[in-house]
Amino acid sequence: MTEILLAQLINGVALGSIYALLVTCFNLLFRFARIIHFSFPVVLVCSIYVIWGVVGISGTPIYLALLAGFLAAVVLNVATTPLFLLVQRRVGGDINTTLIISMGLGMILTEFLSHRVNRGFPISLQGLEQWRRIAIPLPSRIAVLSLVDALSLGVSILMVVGLFFFLHNTQTGRAFRAVAENPEKARLLGISVTGISLLGQLIAGVVGGVTAVLLALQLGAASPSMGDQLGHKVLAVAIIAGIGNLRGGMLTGLILGVVEAVVQGYWSSSWSNAIVFTCMLLALLLRTRRRR
Amino acid sequence: MSLPLYYYLTITTIQVLVSWAIYLPYRMGQLHFTVVANMAVSAYVAAVAASAWGVPLWLLVIVAPLIGGLVGFLCSLFIGDAECFTVVMVGLTLIYLIRTVVESTPLFGGSLGIFNVPGLFGEPAYNRVVILILAICSIVIVGHFLHRFDQSSLGRAASTILADRRLAQSMGIDIKRIGMVLQTLSSAIGGFAGVLHLLVTQGVSPAHFSFQVIGSSMTILFLGGYSTPWGTLLVAPALLGAILVLPEGTESWRMVIYGSLLIITLMVRPEGLLTRHHFVRVLPHIGFTGRRSGRIR
Repeated sequence: MTEILLAQLINGVALGSIYALLVTCFNLLFRFARIIHFSFPVVLVCSIYVIWGVVGISGTPIYLALLAGFLAAVVLNVATTPLFLLVQRRVGGDINTTLIISMGLGMILTEFLSHRVNRGFPISLQGLEQWRRIAIPLPSRIAVLSLVDALSLGVSILMVVGLFFFLHNTQTGRAFRAVAENPEKARLLGISVTGISLLGQLIAGVVGGVTAVLLALQLGAASPSMGDQLGHKVLAVAIIAGIGNLRGGMLTGLILGVVEAVVQGYWSSSWSNAIVFTCMLLALLLRTRRRR
Repeated sequence: MSLPLYYYLTITTIQVLVSWAIYLPYRMGQLHFTVVANMAVSAYVAAVAASAWGVPLWLLVIVAPLIGGLVGFLCSLFIGDAECFTVVMVGLTLIYLIRTVVESTPLFGGSLGIFNVPGLFGEPAYNRVVILILAICSIVIVGHFLHRFDQSSLGRAASTILADRRLAQSMGIDIKRIGMVLQTLSSAIGGFAGVLHLLVTQGVSPAHFSFQVIGSSMTILFLGGYSTPWGTLLVAPALLGAILVLPEGTESWRMVIYGSLLIITLMVRPEGLLTRHHFVRVLPHIGFTGRRSGRIR
């Protein structure tokens, strides 16, 4: 019993750290680029498909495939930036329109994956299996920590610490925070709001690229609908934590991962999803009510 | 009437109803996807009640909007005045929750769903005519209601909330109350659309209430124009018809086409093809010169 709980807690923390990174990307885009990018995880799922495609080319080293996935996430994210900027300019900065644009983008990408790649069937990253099997025994030997779990946790902590260092200890980071607080006043102070917005997209792309690689390692599979499900969880976490709240988002993402893993350890997969969705719905409803 | 024409007309009607159900709360800036969840709830309740318990379907046609309205009302107690993205998330979570529960419960047919639900009446041809009349009547009634709503003080209050929330509050508009009314009505329309879908297809499955329904409804709403319900009435038949007329294989790319259209519309003409301004200018030419048309803002 204790072994199952401990193993699920380890899985949960690893999965939660990836959720935390995803929520961080979402909050970065919200605070610094004024975009509600609901379909950001769909972009990351596309990157996992790129990894799968490169792994499929015989003789390609695995690190090259992961690098290709990382670059795909950055390029896809930066390539869609003008779309958001153009619409924001057209509708006078209405943030809800970016949510609709993002949903449209998600529809296109998801349908493309459903029809053009692997005939719409879920993909399995066979080349990563050997990485996923490597395990580190814990001192008391009551549980085993997989290399992928350790990597997810370690890289997530490094990314978060690096991000906070950048935001609080560099001049560009201060410009980011100024834009997040008040874009108009930041513009009067000589800060290029568009430049910060573009840089925000780039940073979110980089963090997203790392997250895509971690997701590929952690799950070892992907499906066209995975992006929608992830997007839904990430946006829900962001709202529960308070949209734009970087620290709260990370913590709530971590909690969601742990809750999800623990529930999956004791209930069947479908009912565990129902429990998680019920918790999310209750949290959303109560959070909305309490905020008033 | 040929079977393809029957399906085209009824499916278009359902699509118009769903788009209108999303239109109603969007008048105050809320994307209320709970509509799709309500469609699923009412369709499943009706399917189980009709096939397992033998409840007559005509009774369920009346009860379905009430069930949808009740679910919508309960949600609106919490999200009546919430921000757009919170309302979106509650809707999506409810859809995922219902799908997960339905897929895991044998009573609801699991991931395959429930099929061979008895029709309204025994004779299939007669059944189809009645369903088509019911669908057209629902469009007329809901359309008339939306027209009256647009002219009413409630409609103007909703427009004020969409334009400037703080201004609306300072004018004394009760945002929560209006949100609750619109969300409940929208959910009731969604509930009716759900049972209509069940009548047309004589079956229900989790795949019927997916993200695709939201995607197509949003494309129709934003392409038609979100400031008036009439754009939806023009765009839905055109869009659904075009997919049927275009070469074979286009159907499978439907959502890519819809997604592209949605993005292009927001980039080129965010207000949509038909705006309220157009509508007011067109009305006198089609004979609406009376007292009521003069009140349209």
